[in-house]
Amino acid sequence: MSAWVASLRHGVPRGRAGFAGLLAAYAALVALCHFTLVAAGDLSFGRNPWDNLLKSIGDFSRPSFLDVWFGAERLEYRSDDGTLLRVEDRRQVEARFLAGLGRAAWITFQIATLGSLLAALLALPLGLLTARNLNAPQLLSRAAKGVLDVTRAVHTLVFGLVLVGIVGLGPTAGILAIALHSMGTYGKLYAESIETLDMAAVDAVRATGATPMQVFFNAVWPSVLPQFISNHLYVWEFNIRDSTILGLIGAGGLGLLISEAVSLFQWSRLATILLVVIALVVAFDAISRRIRQALL
Amino acid sequence: MKVTGPHPTPVTELIRLEHVRVEAGARRLLEVSELGVAAGERVAIVGPNGAGKSTLLRLLSGMATASQGRIHVLGRELGPQAAALSRAQWRALRSEVGVVMQGLHLVPRLSARDNVLIGALARLRGRAAWPSWLRLYPDALQVEADAALAALGLADRADTRADRLSGGERQKVSLARLRLQRARLVLADEPTSALDPSAKTQVCAALRAATAAPGQALVTVLHDLDLLPALATRVLGMAQGRIQWDLPLHAVDGDLLDALYDRPPNPVAAAVSSRQSIDRSAVAARSNHPPHCTRSAV
Repeated sequence: MSAWVASLRHGVPRGRAGFAGLLAAYAALVALCHFTLVAAGDLSFGRNPWDNLLKSIGDFSRPSFLDVWFGAERLEYRSDDGTLLRVEDRRQVEARFLAGLGRAAWITFQIATLGSLLAALLALPLGLLTARNLNAPQLLSRAAKGVLDVTRAVHTLVFGLVLVGIVGLGPTAGILAIALHSMGTYGKLYAESIETLDMAAVDAVRATGATPMQVFFNAVWPSVLPQFISNHLYVWEFNIRDSTILGLIGAGGLGLLISEAVSLFQWSRLATILLVVIALVVAFDAISRRIRQALL
Repeated sequence: MKVTGPHPTPVTELIRLEHVRVEAGARRLLEVSELGVAAGERVAIVGPNGAGKSTLLRLLSGMATASQGRIHVLGRELGPQAAALSRAQWRALRSEVGVVMQGLHLVPRLSARDNVLIGALARLRGRAAWPSWLRLYPDALQVEADAALAALGLADRADTRADRLSGGERQKVSLARLRLQRARLVLADEPTSALDPSAKTQVCAALRAATAAPGQALVTVLHDLDLLPALATRVLGMAQGRIQWDLPLHAVDGDLLDALYDRPPNPVAAAVSSRQSIDRSAVAARSNHPPHCTRSAV
């Protein structure tokens, strides 16, 4: 124990005693979180979790898009006394919904794509300033690092809420929200790519008497470009996932349909939407993985 | 497409140092009262670790600066009193000084051929340099690069990425790059370290070929003393930051080298080292013929 106290004086606990101390502190923190929640009576699974779970699984297991083929062609809505109120062709209704879903998915993809590109461009100068081996003036590099840390700390959804208030509802707010949050990620990844650059190879090219532009295009560019592209694909893919929920706050895309389906308890429609989201992400992931492998 | 070679300014003495001191803090790294290297010379620098060999080489390539003294490299003054060179002047000087470093500093993601062509970048001037930004080179240079690779036995590796080459192949690529640079003065820091014997032979031959023209000179830091006959006509023995002796190759013998490396005067070691030292007659015989990178007489 005294060893641990002594090690604390140096800032970071070291050694076996230090590790045991950290572990004990973590266990105490977990126990505190758990027992305060239990004491407040907030840690429960509700009244009948099993029935609800089975019901939800039942709803989800029949996604609404099946109605296009198997839905009732003549669904009659009647009032209590048997008067015919409305007749609906489930197949047509579902086809219209799917068309709307497709448009929303396309908007989501547009938001992710344009937002990622904007973030990549905005982050480039900041990443260059923060890369330690480029030795930018310290004031500038600190400022750039601060900007990147702040934008990374604020969630896309929070940026979206603020931006909807500024530029109004629609995809523009979504694009800007994605761009602002991803900027922090891009800047950090750029700086890391540049920091792993083999400076000795760059110096060797410079030693042949090449001009700065020749050095950049022959030594720096070929080394960092594949990493930049790989980073871009990764963040882009991440943003496709992220932009699906931006519609929840009115920034356009699939999120609007998600919030609609959840509000109306249309679980079968939610299942359809989720299938589209999964297909979108999996397809993009497969393509970007191929490209990244080709780049290595 | 204008491809220009090195300036044909006739300078018989390529390097001249006078009263040069290099210091790091309070520590003296190098002190040279006088040193000249003429065109056509091949100079080897030998000595124990920390003797100042690499510092001398870095000084000549402009990577280290002296605290006092006069330094002339290829007719340009680099000393602390000299007016600072402009960026263009530095580039012109660098293009004429070929550097082969200990590490294998190739651009990892470029092919062997593209790495070789980097040597020719400084020969492309003005508008001719623009396509080189996209790594597009005139056909004449491509042919030259392939020939330089073929001369080192790497014809079939031209399209392989540098990071997929073996250590020996990479060192050969850096020598092919040197060949395309057409440098007047070549500075090599242990060019054969970590190479197998046959690769050593090829690398030595390439270094000699790259500095065979009458106006050229080669300065090599060597730890592999067996290579002295192949890479040197003159040997500088360095220790403790000073040049201890400066002798033509035929005057260098095992005793001098032993004293330089401060080997213990133990009778067994002395008997072994005298047998392993460079045989004067073998060296004298080689001075009439083009030396080869073979192990000297044992």
